[in-house]
Amino acid sequence: MIDTALVALDSLFDPMRLAALFAGMLVGGVFGMLPGLGGVAAVSILLPFIYYLDDYSGLAMLLGAVSIVYTSDTITSVLLGAPGSPASAPTAIEGHALAKQGQAARALGVGFLASMVGGLVGSLVLFFAIPIAGPIVLMLSTPELFMLALVGLFFASSMIGKDLAKGLAAAALGVLLGVVGPAQAAADFRFTFGQVYLLDGFSLTIVALGLFGVAEVISMLAAGGGISHQRMEVSHWGAGFRDFWANKWLVLRASLIGVLGGFVPAVGASASTWVAYGHAIRSTKDKSKFGKGEIRGVAASEGANNATVISDLVPTLLFSVPGGPAAAIFLGALFSFGYYPGPRMITQNPDLMFLIVWSVALSSIVGAALCFAVTPMLARLTRIPFAIIAAPLVLIMVIGAYQATSTMGDIFMLFTLGALGWLMKHGGWPRAPALVGFVLSGPMEQYFWLTNQIHGWTWLTRPGVLVIASIIVIPLLMQGWRWLRQRRVAEIAEPDDAAEVPGADANRSIALVLATVGAVMFAYALWETFTFNPASRLMPLLAIVPGLPLTLWLAWRGVREYRDDFARDGGELVILAVLLAYAVAVWAVGLTVPTLALIAWMLLVRAQMRVRSAAVYGAAVFAVVWLLFDIMRGDPPVGALIPLS
Amino acid sequence: MRKLLTTTVTALMGLAATAQAQDGYFAGKTIDVIVPFGTGGATFVSAKFLEPYFEKHLPGNPQINVIDRPGGGSILGANWFEENARADGTTVLFTTSSTANPFVLGQEGVEYRLSEYRVAYSHPFSSVAYVAPSTGVTGADDIRESSEPLLYGGIAAAASDLPALLSFEVLGLDVRSVLGFNGRGPVRLAFEQGEVNIDYQFTPVWLTQVVPSVEEGRAVPLWTGGAMENGVLSARDPIAPDLPSVYEVYERMNGEAPSGIEWDAFQGIASVTYAYGLTGYLHPDAPQEALDAYAEAVAAINADPEFQAESQEVTGGARLSAGPDTEAAVKAALSPSDEVRAYLRNLLSEKYGVNF
Repeated sequence: MIDTALVALDSLFDPMRLAALFAGMLVGGVFGMLPGLGGVAAVSILLPFIYYLDDYSGLAMLLGAVSIVYTSDTITSVLLGAPGSPASAPTAIEGHALAKQGQAARALGVGFLASMVGGLVGSLVLFFAIPIAGPIVLMLSTPELFMLALVGLFFASSMIGKDLAKGLAAAALGVLLGVVGPAQAAADFRFTFGQVYLLDGFSLTIVALGLFGVAEVISMLAAGGGISHQRMEVSHWGAGFRDFWANKWLVLRASLIGVLGGFVPAVGASASTWVAYGHAIRSTKDKSKFGKGEIRGVAASEGANNATVISDLVPTLLFSVPGGPAAAIFLGALFSFGYYPGPRMITQNPDLMFLIVWSVALSSIVGAALCFAVTPMLARLTRIPFAIIAAPLVLIMVIGAYQATSTMGDIFMLFTLGALGWLMKHGGWPRAPALVGFVLSGPMEQYFWLTNQIHGWTWLTRPGVLVIASIIVIPLLMQGWRWLRQRRVAEIAEPDDAAEVPGADANRSIALVLATVGAVMFAYALWETFTFNPASRLMPLLAIVPGLPLTLWLAWRGVREYRDDFARDGGELVILAVLLAYAVAVWAVGLTVPTLALIAWMLLVRAQMRVRSAAVYGAAVFAVVWLLFDIMRGDPPVGALIPLS
Repeated sequence: MRKLLTTTVTALMGLAATAQAQDGYFAGKTIDVIVPFGTGGATFVSAKFLEPYFEKHLPGNPQINVIDRPGGGSILGANWFEENARADGTTVLFTTSSTANPFVLGQEGVEYRLSEYRVAYSHPFSSVAYVAPSTGVTGADDIRESSEPLLYGGIAAAASDLPALLSFEVLGLDVRSVLGFNGRGPVRLAFEQGEVNIDYQFTPVWLTQVVPSVEEGRAVPLWTGGAMENGVLSARDPIAPDLPSVYEVYERMNGEAPSGIEWDAFQGIASVTYAYGLTGYLHPDAPQEALDAYAEAVAAINADPEFQAESQEVTGGARLSAGPDTEAAVKAALSPSDEVRAYLRNLLSEKYGVNF
């Protein structure tokens, strides 16, 4: 085995293949940084080019791109607060909070190193795919996968925050968003309002970008000035290295969570990242810093997402079942080169297998080094007025969202969810549980249904199920025991168990609006749920049964506590309105005119640039946007009223 | 997608080729092949597989772009084609029964008029059924003597699982189906894990994964969907010539040829799923010249030794088809009688809870 591995390493060091690997890394690095464009976009943009290369070079190019995306997305998440890809949303929460305190270098350093470790752990798992990883994948039947989803939910429960009602309502809202589209259990399309657009449900990218990215951009635009009010020094990496070393075991555990996430078919890196983040919260004694900049949150999520994207290749290579969306495209590339993954391919082409292992391992290390190298330059961006960055940032998010289906629905949905994210942010609803609820509702429903259909209730006694259940039960028992003992010893000294999530300074009128909107949504959902097949009702009811009373109670609380403080965030409302108007305008008259108007408004009104420099810079931004549209999709949206593009 | 970059690269790398471009219907034109599924899916990969052969053999050597437009279980991409297809035959909708079934069943959201489209070319997409040895079944003939209840895993009744479910109806088998899997890959994994015990897989997976399982005694092959012969889906599929077709299995079980509404429904749905599994459609007003050009290219591709060698490896040597016979067969399958349509809608809503 070692011989073949060395031969494969040698064949990777062919100049052409190394060049392809690095080219892939460059593209992956850039796409990782662009919010909303991640591994899938990077791999699909590279796909046409691999056919001009030999098979090993072509595959190396794709792998280079895949394995760096979740390293470079850390930069965007930390510096801009908009998740560079959906799976780095926790990094955007914790890392960006650290960056605002002038600790960007620390957050980035830990993020890059954790990503590297995640990548290496993933590569190691891939190396032992046949003897170890494959059998594990085969052991994970639907009941075990359902239990893993429950474990995810259990870890996620620590993200609820102090305001229990708001946290649970947010989670219920996320689950409700997650059940839109085709039901897993029976042939129902839920809450689609007759729109073909909603037949597939919401795109994860759009939900993550809307809830976090758009809302963040609006606040920063309104605040004026640069992203960081303090000078961001990112040249001293020492603190980052020390933090990384202090949290090495957490990173390793998070990487293993990520690896497991990769084994679950079709569940991407987002789920395992949130689970690892939840694990970080649970395993941290002082939870007060979560949500306000906790380095352990960054360490765990970055370790997990990179491990997932690489271990996604295990089911892909062993069983032709892609572990995640980028792996699905990689599988297509393997097919086109005439490789048909399966246990046989690995025994027949062991050098290909090891080439893959070496490619991802090498990219993980070099990728982290590259990110360390480019970050000081990018960090300077954070000191120029944010309005100048906002124009290209918003437009790139639009392009990222538009990758989902290339219809106007993508753009509308981005800004509608942006509005929801903005309401949540100011109404004091934590957004993390909402995204977790969204991510986990699909697999939970699917695996619960399949499990019960295939096994009846006998699945509860399967050994795998019991082993996984112990992950939940043992900590709960320990917690209960500790609580009992503590109550006996000291009556009051109860640990601050809930993670602190900012919410105390919630805008009361926005909270009232949000609770009312939420209550209306849940009430409508309840009414429509009765038209579904019984099997399709379970998951929506799981959201509605707690969601409706909670939102009603929050609305009642909102009325009682009402204070006319809407104007406090009114300035931000203008920006939100402009963005929504932009979406409507794109629908009406196509991309060009509204985009030019938006750029002009951002640069002249918000950033107060001089006309001449604004014209030059604006033209450049516009050109890049068009180029990106052209590279990603042949056709930007065409106006419905005036058919311009 | 990626038009500009691919155009540039092709222009740079294919200068020699374009220099030789002769006259022909597609000279100097660009063909967009719209795939209403994601990159990396089987349909996308097949379109990419065929791309160089069409570029080489279509008269005028046009440049071909394969464009993915996923969404709505292929409905979004097909609706886009309905609105945006060019009438000169340079926009192709390359798709599967996932687009055809919602059209045939008249599902909500379908705006495309599939049965009015012209059929440029078609590629078969064979499917083979197999069971787990734990059932004690040794072949098609004793399928009814299974020692354990048969359990089939699928994605959704009204989509690509429909022909499999209909084949169970035709053969009168008592198979319980669990729908809700993510794709045929996860179903295959569930079969390996012993969670389901009867399964259908399409050509590439059959050749690369199931055949090895059969050799190792972990799967027992049953039958294929069949191939078209004189307008009846009765012939053996060349991909597995040792296995009977569903038609043949019925004949052996019942001593007479299958007939009746179950068979009509199965044949209609199965022919657009299997025999014409991957079909390239053109705008309804596409000129006959364009259709002839595709038919000419298909004949040339089938005769191309390079294609023959490569397809032998990938699809067990399947051939493209085109021309009036193919078009007539596809259109017939897309326009079932009112009776068949009513039977299908009734079966799906009664047995599988599909809402129309």
